[in-house]
Amino acid sequence: MKKNNSALLSTPYILWMVAFTLIPLGVVVYYALTDPATGEFTWGNLRDLNQYWGVLGQSIGYSLVSALICLLLGYPVAYYIAHRSPTAQKMLYMLVMLPMCMSFLLRTLAWVGLLQDTGIINDFLAFIGVGRIQLIRTPGAVVLGMVYNYLPYMILPLYATIVKIDHRLVEAAEDLGCSGVQVFGRVILPLSVPGILSGITMVFVPAVSTFYISQKLGGTDTVLIGDVIERQFKQGNNPNLGAALSLVLMILVFICTGIMNRFGSDEEGGVIA
Amino acid sequence: MKKTNRIFTVLIFIFLYIPMAVLVLASFNTGKDITDFEGFTFQRYVELFQDEHLLKLLGNSLLISILASAIATVFGTVAAVGIHGLKPKMRKTVMTLTNIPMTNPDIVTGVSLSLLFVFVGTKMLGQRDSLTFWTLLIAHITFNLPYVILNVMPKLNQMDVSLTDAAMDLGCTPVPAFFRVTLHEILPGIVTGAIMAFTMSLDDFVISYFVSGLDFVTLPVEIYSYTKKPIQPRVYAMFTLLFALIFVLMLTMNLLQLRSDKNKTERRGKTITKGQRYFRRLAALVCLLALLAGTGYLAFGTRQEIITLNIYNWGQYIADGSDGSMEIVKAFEEKYPHIKVNYSTYDSNEIMYSKLSNGGITVDLIIPSDYMIARMIQEDMLLPLDFDNIPNYQYIDESFKNTAYDPENKYSVPYTWGTVGILYNTKYVDEADVTGWELLWNEKYAGKILMFGNSRDAFGIAQYLLGYDVNTTDRAELDACAEKLKEQKPVLQQYVMDEIFATMENEEAWIAPYYAGDCLVMMENNENLAFYLPEEQGFNLFIDAMCIPSCAQEKEAAELFINFLCDPEISAANMDWVGYATPISEAKQYLDPETVSDPVAYPGDETLVNGTNFTYLPEDISRYMESLFMEVRND
Repeated sequence: MKKNNSALLSTPYILWMVAFTLIPLGVVVYYALTDPATGEFTWGNLRDLNQYWGVLGQSIGYSLVSALICLLLGYPVAYYIAHRSPTAQKMLYMLVMLPMCMSFLLRTLAWVGLLQDTGIINDFLAFIGVGRIQLIRTPGAVVLGMVYNYLPYMILPLYATIVKIDHRLVEAAEDLGCSGVQVFGRVILPLSVPGILSGITMVFVPAVSTFYISQKLGGTDTVLIGDVIERQFKQGNNPNLGAALSLVLMILVFICTGIMNRFGSDEEGGVIA
Repeated sequence: MKKTNRIFTVLIFIFLYIPMAVLVLASFNTGKDITDFEGFTFQRYVELFQDEHLLKLLGNSLLISILASAIATVFGTVAAVGIHGLKPKMRKTVMTLTNIPMTNPDIVTGVSLSLLFVFVGTKMLGQRDSLTFWTLLIAHITFNLPYVILNVMPKLNQMDVSLTDAAMDLGCTPVPAFFRVTLHEILPGIVTGAIMAFTMSLDDFVISYFVSGLDFVTLPVEIYSYTKKPIQPRVYAMFTLLFALIFVLMLTMNLLQLRSDKNKTERRGKTITKGQRYFRRLAALVCLLALLAGTGYLAFGTRQEIITLNIYNWGQYIADGSDGSMEIVKAFEEKYPHIKVNYSTYDSNEIMYSKLSNGGITVDLIIPSDYMIARMIQEDMLLPLDFDNIPNYQYIDESFKNTAYDPENKYSVPYTWGTVGILYNTKYVDEADVTGWELLWNEKYAGKILMFGNSRDAFGIAQYLLGYDVNTTDRAELDACAEKLKEQKPVLQQYVMDEIFATMENEEAWIAPYYAGDCLVMMENNENLAFYLPEEQGFNLFIDAMCIPSCAQEKEAAELFINFLCDPEISAANMDWVGYATPISEAKQYLDPETVSDPVAYPGDETLVNGTNFTYLPEDISRYMESLFMEVRND
């Protein structure tokens, strides 16, 4: 009887979320299926998507590469943090979180200042006699921007998983004659899979939809799907095509998270470390 | 192994903090450029606290994030308790719903909410102003809610149910039982959720960028538009202060938590007296109220005026008081104290047009170019002006009246005019190569060439180069231009608009087509820059004029502003900073004679005959050109 009463408390919330998450997605579908000029039903926007598959592929490629680099860079760091004293863990955790709270626009701009032809790194290279090299406006710069911005999203869930691994399992493996590498490969790594999957998702989703990083660090040919959507809304005056593109992006992300959830645990709140 | 891991971790932390160090350093730099450290100063911090505009934006950001996170925390906690009481199957469905904003990319959330607000507000309720403070607040609450719920739910699940049962057995009714037992148990989750929600709100750019209108803008959205111009170093000072603040906040939070963990065992058993508890609550309440009042003052403190005039103009297109110029907007507000100007900028006609036609905003005054005015007249997007309110119209030169775009002088009052040519850096570019528009295709300068980021100007250049009419409606010709533009792409550094100021001045790029007036400003800041007008191939001669869009709500105030800008003395003071040419001959007597005789600013008639105006293109041709340009850029 008590349960039924308290359950009613969730009703306003459910209504709110339906109104401001489900219905807006319905509006996106509506726009995607209407003509920008006449407002009538059309498949035209979806047909126009054909010229954007390349851009979409490119976005997926960049984000996957970034997610993998984040994993390679983030795992040792998460592992290191998880094996400190509790006090040190808290401090290091905070130091990983801190950059996430600061304006990512300005931090990306700082990279522009570092990488550009007349920037800090090139000034230094010229000074020591190596000569200037092209750093900015390359695919590498875009990947760097993604890795830099989203690395904390990888480290935090990895840390949360690794720190929970029961140390007795490691000891047991060692007692049974496992070498250090074997312990890692057979015990620690398999047990950190949920963290790895959640980290990859958390890097991949923002990376695949970014437009600021590619605008600032990329060149004329590093166009990502986020750029195209932003331009349709803000300059091209074609919200209908923009809506169709958003729809594609959304479906892509749902497929990805679906796959990740299938392999990972579907614990409530699993997304948050 | 352990040692290498430690070194690696240190390296990663250095990587994470290098850009922040660059920004902090830049805030103490006497120079303007982030890349050259010229000397140490605290001046930027002084400037920051004198910059009302920036402080107000900071107030806006704080207001929206405090309100949104506070509402989301209360709402979310209540909802979490409710969800906890649901049947498992229903609970799973609701949690899936909760996860939608978390897993959806920000851009999709932003786009979907802005479409919803415009759809409901403009199309269904017929409101002009559907993107406001309130819609932004709704958006922030919506993406904050999941953070609260996902932090509170685990605590509820961990909680021992027998605790509440015990309380109720002892005679508590459910509500007090909640406040005395449950709340106490889940409090850590609530606090973490609230802090996460607050920081997410404060730093959110993408969602706010799509959802905000023009009258309530948050700091990140403004920073996005700042970055196109050379960014003001006081922004770095603000970053440094915020960084210090958040660092100290997190540090104290951590220390407090550590201390309470340590003391937990010792303290258990000790009770806090009722008086102490009420005192603590009171103190917390006072702090919260003070914070709210402070940010409220920052955000709304200057808003008691009766009329707000929303002006939407090109960036760098009105004297703003810098470099000893006249601050036009301020001068206007002083003359008409009952009017408060809300000023925002765009950097191409197309962006402005998109924003207006997407709806959801109120704008009282815009300054589009000729061809865009023609298009907007055709589409009923402009209001006829009441010239009784604009007596200074008499000063406008006859040659700027009865133009092709507004033949009956009903909708527009000329603001400036000028030409489009090529700005190049004489230090790197061989004069022998400066022969015409083909300079923008020259492989010798690959990677150092910029190009217009808007369709009409970009196609115009291709049309001059190929010898086509710039006002053509022939799709085959446009296709050929698109091909030409695709050919150019490999040598380009970037498609830009106002970013050009920063990149040309610091010599990151060497060649760019742009508007003569802006080129003059850049030439003043870097003496290696020169301007070239391809007279033989033809070039664009444009007029930008002041208009009142049909979504305007303060038409009369807008007309007052137009009249103010047509005052010859004001126009001269304005043009002196803007760099463009005035359509008011009367004004020239107040200008520096050197400027008036400068052929870049005021080209002679023998030059002007080679220029052509952009005129109206039919709707379908405009759309076709835009989609071709998108194709070029996405190729």
